[in-house]
Amino acid sequence: MPISSLLAIAPLLPASISPGSLTGELIGIAEYAIAIAMVIIVFDYVFGWLERKVVAKIQKRHGPTYAGKYGLLQNMADILKLMSKQHVAPANSDRPMFLATLPAMLALTLFLVMLIPFSPTFSGSSSGFVLLIVLVLVSFMPLVIFMNGFASGNKFSAISAERSVVMLLSYEIPLVLVVATTAALTGSYSLNGIVGAQSQLWYVVLMPIGFVIFFIAMLAELERPPFDMREADSELIAGWLTDVSPPYYMLALFLDYSRMLLGSMLIAILFFGGWNGPVLPPIVWLLIKVFAIAFFIMIVRVTMVRMRIDRLLRFGWLILLPLAFVNLIVTYVLLIG
Amino acid sequence: MNTRINIGPVHPSTHGVLRLVADIDGDTVLNVEPHIGFLHRGVEKLVENRMYMQSPTYMEKLDYAAPMSYDELYVATVEKAMGVEIKERAQWVRVVLLELQRIASHLLWLGTTANDLGQFFTLFMWTMKDRDIILRLLERASGARMFYMNMRIGGLVQDLPPGFGESAQEVLDYLEKRVKKYEAYLERNPVFVGRTRGVGILNREDAISLGVTGPVLRASGVDYDTRKYNAYYVYGKLSFRPQTRSEGDVFARYKVRMLEMGESIRLVREALDRMPDGDAVGMPVRLITPGAKNREARASRETPRGEGIMYMIADPQKPYRLAIRSPTFVNLAALQHIAKDCRMADVFAILGSLDIVMGDADK
Repeated sequence: MPISSLLAIAPLLPASISPGSLTGELIGIAEYAIAIAMVIIVFDYVFGWLERKVVAKIQKRHGPTYAGKYGLLQNMADILKLMSKQHVAPANSDRPMFLATLPAMLALTLFLVMLIPFSPTFSGSSSGFVLLIVLVLVSFMPLVIFMNGFASGNKFSAISAERSVVMLLSYEIPLVLVVATTAALTGSYSLNGIVGAQSQLWYVVLMPIGFVIFFIAMLAELERPPFDMREADSELIAGWLTDVSPPYYMLALFLDYSRMLLGSMLIAILFFGGWNGPVLPPIVWLLIKVFAIAFFIMIVRVTMVRMRIDRLLRFGWLILLPLAFVNLIVTYVLLIG
Repeated sequence: MNTRINIGPVHPSTHGVLRLVADIDGDTVLNVEPHIGFLHRGVEKLVENRMYMQSPTYMEKLDYAAPMSYDELYVATVEKAMGVEIKERAQWVRVVLLELQRIASHLLWLGTTANDLGQFFTLFMWTMKDRDIILRLLERASGARMFYMNMRIGGLVQDLPPGFGESAQEVLDYLEKRVKKYEAYLERNPVFVGRTRGVGILNREDAISLGVTGPVLRASGVDYDTRKYNAYYVYGKLSFRPQTRSEGDVFARYKVRMLEMGESIRLVREALDRMPDGDAVGMPVRLITPGAKNREARASRETPRGEGIMYMIADPQKPYRLAIRSPTFVNLAALQHIAKDCRMADVFAILGSLDIVMGDADK
């Protein structure tokens, strides 16, 4: 099966290249990647603005108001400022590794979002094992952070890198267990299949425990408080980002919100019926759910105190892991049986 | 494997310019050594070259989170040197203002400590807003928002403005509700309780031998409060109880400060009710020539951070020598003792719970 046939959006090809050829397929993939990159940039921008406003509202501030209507252009001003700064890498850093990791993570996130369908007709892959691939790549990210932390040659970053691995140990197994339960309930690792199976009842109703575990694990995955021990500004200054220069810090911010999009999409698809919904077109339903989940994640951010890393490990193994097993067993006995 | 890491003087949670040198093994901190002096201005020496009432401005900048308490401590020292009686009404007004300042300082502490514990500025913004209401009240009483310079020998620069009592009561009602809200919000949060309870324990004996004072000492179960045991002004006449806890951990230090805010609110209410009428304005500045009465004077006050003591040898025009015992300096020295074999994140919880102001430690 040609890869380009997996792309629901037909690639715009010059007449001289036939759609089935290798060149045609590569061009098609590149076009889809560019489209998704644009979508991600728009989301990052809107999330960045929304988070500033939501956080400000809860903290009884106004947030950005000066640049543009409702401060909508403030992020643009900040991007310009960060871009105009000098780029430097610390002298004692492992330069190639230090410079490669952040773009690599952005590319990884882009690839992940490409795999996840926005609607039945707007998706990058119809493979039956998308969820599995996503899971593998998502759990790869903390390792890239680990590499970056050690490559920067800063002690705070090194501590952050160690924490990254400890966090991976604490939440990854419950996360995988919950995803496996979801797939078992559907009988498929395909995201389209999972959404289709939720047309009557959302999985959040069938597996409330599973949802809570997945949400907590996702907060940890996204470095959101109360699990932001990797960045931990009051302890580690900025953790693995301590030594990055302003242009790279901008990339880090983009990465942050791209991962938030990724996490919100996964939660919406796995537990809230994805694009299922009446009247409105599917993609609008998905966006509504994604924004609602992102909104909730922002509220959690401003209200929680940071957890301690050793307590997270204990929490992950003594509470999340047994609960994930309970979720698995209950789902098997009651629903799949 | 041990690593030595340098925290500060430029770091998000060192409350200004504190430098910590920590030996860590993985996530366990073996030893923390505070290094101070980045904000040293030589206040004690500066004072020697100024006339008596030129100095309060330096004193207030020692503790910029509670300037009024140092203003008052310095003026009280000069009053002792002069042997001046403080007017009856001025004593009551001073108690009201000092307790309001204590609430403001503790609110600021609460917000910054929540930040140290990793909250993203939410509690900080809320408490800053509440503190601002008190600052506005103090502005009405003194004319300045932050550095009041409201104390004069024998009294104050000016009496409380008309209507101050009523608006103060309103503010106190509001603050009482807010403090309860903060307590409920934090103590129902399992992460906050987990981060503070049983962390950074300072037991009674160590607290006494390290010489810590203020809420840090009272959280270790010692019932020592200068307002009670060295009762100055009208504290002896007010129904005042020092707030203590016995656990000695970060949570106890938090709780003591929360209880103290409630206690201060009660004190201000009572003082406003029982305040006599009369004159509260102090001596004109040009008449101030101590030396004549007592060559040496010593005053001790319960500042929001602990017991502040000033010792002065007075000459007719200028102080010959002034020595300041600042509470933060002593409390901060206890950090090395408390933060042994704790987690990396706990260092900042403990540091926050000591309520340091580097201007106070560095002088």
